[in-house]
Amino acid sequence: MAEMVKLFVNGQEVAVEQGKNLIDALKVVGIEIPHFCYHPALGADGNCRMCLVGIEDGRPPLVPACKTPAMEGMKVLLDAEHIKKIQHDVLELELINHPIDCPVCDQAGECTLQDYYMTYSLDDSRRGVEPVKKGKRMDLGCGVVHDQERCVLCARCVRFTRQITRTGELGIVNRSDEARVAIFPGKPLDNRYALNIVDICPVGAMTSSDFRFRQRVWFLKKDEGICHGCSKGCNIYIDHHREKYKDDMIYRFRARTNLQVNGYFICDEGRLSYHRENENRQSQTRVDGGVVGFEEGIKAFRSRLDTARKPLMLLSADCTLEQMWAVKRIANLYGAGLSGYSDASVLPGDGDDYLIQDDKAANRKGLELLGIDSSKESFMAALQDADLLVNFNNDLFFSNINDELRPLLDSKECIAVCSHARKLFEKAAIIIPTASYSEYGGTIVNGDGVLQLFRKAVTKNDDPHDILEITRLLGGAIVDAARAWPGIRQSVAVLSAVQPEQIPAEGLKLQSSEEPHVGS
Amino acid sequence: MSDRSELIAVGKPFSFDAERDAEFERLITRYPIRESMIMPALWLVQEQDGWICAEAISYIAERIGTYPAKVFELATFYTMYHLKPVGRHHICVCRTLSCYLRDKQEIVDYLAEEIGIRPGQVSEDGKFSLEEVECLGHCGTAPVVQLDGEFHEAMDAKKLKALLATLD
Ligand code: SF4
Ligand code: SF4
Ligand code: FES
Ligand code: FES
Repeated sequence: MAEMVKLFVNGQEVAVEQGKNLIDALKVVGIEIPHFCYHPALGADGNCRMCLVGIEDGRPPLVPACKTPAMEGMKVLLDAEHIKKIQHDVLELELINHPIDCPVCDQAGECTLQDYYMTYSLDDSRRGVEPVKKGKRMDLGCGVVHDQERCVLCARCVRFTRQITRTGELGIVNRSDEARVAIFPGKPLDNRYALNIVDICPVGAMTSSDFRFRQRVWFLKKDEGICHGCSKGCNIYIDHHREKYKDDMIYRFRARTNLQVNGYFICDEGRLSYHRENENRQSQTRVDGGVVGFEEGIKAFRSRLDTARKPLMLLSADCTLEQMWAVKRIANLYGAGLSGYSDASVLPGDGDDYLIQDDKAANRKGLELLGIDSSKESFMAALQDADLLVNFNNDLFFSNINDELRPLLDSKECIAVCSHARKLFEKAAIIIPTASYSEYGGTIVNGDGVLQLFRKAVTKNDDPHDILEITRLLGGAIVDAARAWPGIRQSVAVLSAVQPEQIPAEGLKLQSSEEPHVGS
Repeated sequence: MSDRSELIAVGKPFSFDAERDAEFERLITRYPIRESMIMPALWLVQEQDGWICAEAISYIAERIGTYPAKVFELATFYTMYHLKPVGRHHICVCRTLSCYLRDKQEIVDYLAEEIGIRPGQVSEDGKFSLEEVECLGHCGTAPVVQLDGEFHEAMDAKKLKALLATLD
């Protein structure tokens, strides 16, 4: 724990972390210092001057808060007239050539400039000349669309490409009122994290071609979630909305800060993976080709399981610990084999040394912890023997490594519990639709062994049942996620003390030294 | 300043001639950080060709091992770098505060009338080019004109006329 110091803000005493810059230090105690250029991931650049404050200790009357560390006894002035004046003045400067096109700007409603204008300015424009004209709707590459006129030249985007991706595509060219963000001609953005620029741009100068004009941000419900695009488990906001007479749909994912997992950013592929939550979903229940009601589907599911000689259950490495546990129990109940074989979701060489992992499954560690055999050999052997394969949302054909398994799979009766309509499931005798990760909650363990909890974000009109619920309908004893935990705690040593509701926001790093120990 | 970010591509790769190549290698040993060489390298290009094309910016970036966008920034920031061919005589008029207040516009308008060039343009005969630049650091004696690199202080249209008359 960092050392705390007492200092005064407008005469009021607060306790903050020593040495932290004043913007971050005071934010923790609920005091806002307006700023454009400072970003915790990019450091203090000191270029915007919006964060100027007074420190009453004989230094110059105005100092940038982003470059001023909190110290014992400091007297910080935020509400003095000369501070308010400078805030007005900086905002006036930012707004001189700004197009003020908030009604058609995607950022409206979450724009720092708009918010600061309302809080710190409210001045009328004094500009009597034509504003400087600059580029509009510029395609900078990677789905980033730039409006040079809306830019406040904080250089966050430029610093992102130099410090984070080290690709350096952006620069600020020209100077004075002609200064603007640009790419070098013919060298557009070309990195797998570029859309973070849209998140960090404080104004509407950087927008995403994917999200532009799709939804006004104030309609969006912003729920916390975890990306299931790979085994990093980056923290995200799931921004979704149910338009009148329509279904609850996701409009975008945004990065959510978690310093133990993903820092401040996420990859573009993960960000855009929300499309997969909306599209190509399995919604119908089918038995032997015919569409039936869900209850009827479950009834058929049960009876085939009852009569099967040797059922085999296959779990997806994306399932939560609770779902895995529930399926494990149900496999026991029906005397079924259980496998977590999911090598197809590993794309060797696709990962990088930053966030993106080769393993595209969110909870492979969970399979390991619960001692669920995931080897190809045992899956193949069990499949040869089995007369019924119950597939819990495992897309064996995610990559093409299992193509040669097709004839064998086709020769087996299959029950597919699936969130998406996929080739693999087409031939299944019974298809049971199930929820995808934005529609249920639970815990998963990322590739670095960090246990994280996430909650249900999206509620569909026809809300699909989660795998755990389906096991309950099959006669399983795990009626909800909480009910899975006594068993999990007992079987898995590293999880023996875990209370899922108490997992800290940044996740719980599991002790890797402990071997997974699985009881019977 | 006007927008300088529309670079001109000449359509063939740039490289230093033998003399500038040797000079580049000599200078770069002076800088512990290679990127410090961007500005001297831009000078070398300008010395060689008289102006700096898009290809030369890529060339410098590659040679120094930095991002083209960074070289682009510096080349467009400093008006002393010519990003298009200039006239035989290059006139810079300061347009920053002091010079603005002390009527730099009179000078700019005079040049438009007399020679027919506006900022960013070259006269038809190729004799003159004009650029409006940011503060030249002689604010106390504004307005300031820089003609072929030399400063002329407290200028007005009349003085400029006399000055231009001395040129061939
Ligand atoms: S585009 Fe946005 S992030 Fe980039 S400099 Fe402008 S305001 Fe800042
Ligand atoms: S790195 Fe992985 S978990 Fe993170 S956003 Fe990308 S796909 Fe999702
Ligand atoms: S945040 Fe301090 S100068 Fe921009
Ligand atoms: S303002 Fe013209 S020289 Fe400084």
